[in-house]
Amino acid sequence: MKLVMDSLPAILEAGLRYTIPLSVISFIIGIIIAVITALVRISNVKKGSTFTRLLKIIGKAFFSFYVWLFRGTPLIVQMFILFYGLPRLPAPYTVEFGAFSAAVIVFSLNVGAYASETIRAAILSISKGQWEAGYAIGMTHTTVLFRVILPQAARVSLPPLSNSFIGLIKDTSLAFSITIVEMFSVGQQIAARTYEPMVLYCEVAVVYLVFCSILNVGQYYLEKRTSRYIKNT
Amino acid sequence: MIKFENVNKYFDQHKALKSLSFELPEHETTVIVGPSGSGKSTLLRSFNLLEQPEEGLYSLDDKVIDFAQPISEKTILEVRRQTGMVFQDYNLFPHLTVLKNVMEGPLHVLKEQKLIAAQRAEELLELVGLSDRANYYPNQLSGGQQQRVAIARAMAMNPKYLLFDEPTSALDPELEAEVLKVLLKLDVEKNSMVIVTHNMAFAKAVASNIIFLEEGNILFNGSPDEFFNHPTERIQKFLSAMTFEDILPK
Ligand SMILES: Nc1ncnc2c1ncn2[C@@H]1O[C@H](COP(=O)(O)OP(=O)(O)O)[C@@H](O)[C@H]1O
Ligand SMILES: [Mg+2]
Repeated sequence: MKLVMDSLPAILEAGLRYTIPLSVISFIIGIIIAVITALVRISNVKKGSTFTRLLKIIGKAFFSFYVWLFRGTPLIVQMFILFYGLPRLPAPYTVEFGAFSAAVIVFSLNVGAYASETIRAAILSISKGQWEAGYAIGMTHTTVLFRVILPQAARVSLPPLSNSFIGLIKDTSLAFSITIVEMFSVGQQIAARTYEPMVLYCEVAVVYLVFCSILNVGQYYLEKRTSRYIKNT
Repeated sequence: MIKFENVNKYFDQHKALKSLSFELPEHETTVIVGPSGSGKSTLLRSFNLLEQPEEGLYSLDDKVIDFAQPISEKTILEVRRQTGMVFQDYNLFPHLTVLKNVMEGPLHVLKEQKLIAAQRAEELLELVGLSDRANYYPNQLSGGQQQRVAIARAMAMNPKYLLFDEPTSALDPELEAEVLKVLLKLDVEKNSMVIVTHNMAFAKAVASNIIFLEEGNILFNGSPDEFFNHPTERIQKFLSAMTFEDILPK
């Protein structure tokens, strides 16, 4: 018990310094990437001038490639390529990131790839009649999108996006592999020093559980707020 | 004035509108009738360019659109500014309250001031008899109430032409009556109306002009008196089917 109390401050500090900022920053950037990706991928290539149509086709190919790449390779491999691989490229191509930036980049791009599919599906789930109702009162495509479709799609995608967020919090433990001393690595260090792996790893697990539970509560209230217009809520 | 000249609309191989030509004068109520699948919705939706026919000319007042050419975004928006539409399944914005549904267009299309838009929205809700439901969400309303909100939402844009696509088809008779009552209140002096309906009694009461469509052709375009009192054989058959006269025991 004493060990738990003694190690808790260090673990919590790692959580507040790395796990939470890493999760929150990556998630926000990831969602922005996801929305852009989803919008490009659902855009209608049959509409617009020749130039915009060409732009859409290229954009679609680019973002499809991105989603395919990041969904099809392990997170830890992406992290290693970025952090250990890129700095070793031959001279003019060398790219170096700090560990934290590398982690944010990889996590954001991962969230973006997965969440873009969630958001794309949510947008497509809104009925054609909603688009037409917007058009009929004179809205442009963009206005319908932002005033009518996205607010409804946001509600639909809230539960799966919360899942992504929880997944992300847990995945940040992988950042230990690129030298970031987040909660899991702190636990590991103390476990190595004290020979109490069972206690330490369970303690780390509980802290993750607490973080994710806080998120669950947040999701609950957000869902309640955004579902006011649904019958019986 | 809405004018079509030799308008053709295809869905792949299927020809939904067959070389239609007609003119609908202003300040009149045109009722479009015809069997299911005859192209009524397609025709109505062509008026606000939700459907875009492939061939023919469309004149909306002094604006002339050649369907054979690509239609610019600007033209589309101008046409939609002149027209309002009420759909069969209401299509209210479910995430907005009744009042906000009506204010949405004035605020975010016309960029009106909030106070002015709200005041006008309240007047319109009064007109459709829903002042007491202003802060409800659409899902908390009956179908008839939702459709009356949809009418207010369309009218909030002050369109010159109001288009109704079977506005009461999804409703029980009592609810249908409350929507029809609102439609009867609308001012033809201000709006020209085009109504697709299966309700012949209503058509008879409001129409200044009737168009009968069948398989994408206009079989009749004329006065309600002629349509109901001197029907051709084909129209007579359609009217009997509408009242089930043809299948009910005499
Ligand atoms: N989006 C569409 N794609 C393919 N065919 C369609 C589409 N909309 C309508 N049609 C066809 O066009 C014809 C006319 O349809 P519609 O205008 O909806 O008829 P109505 O409103 O008179 O019942 C029908 O045969 C229908 O199947
Ligand atoms: Mg129809």
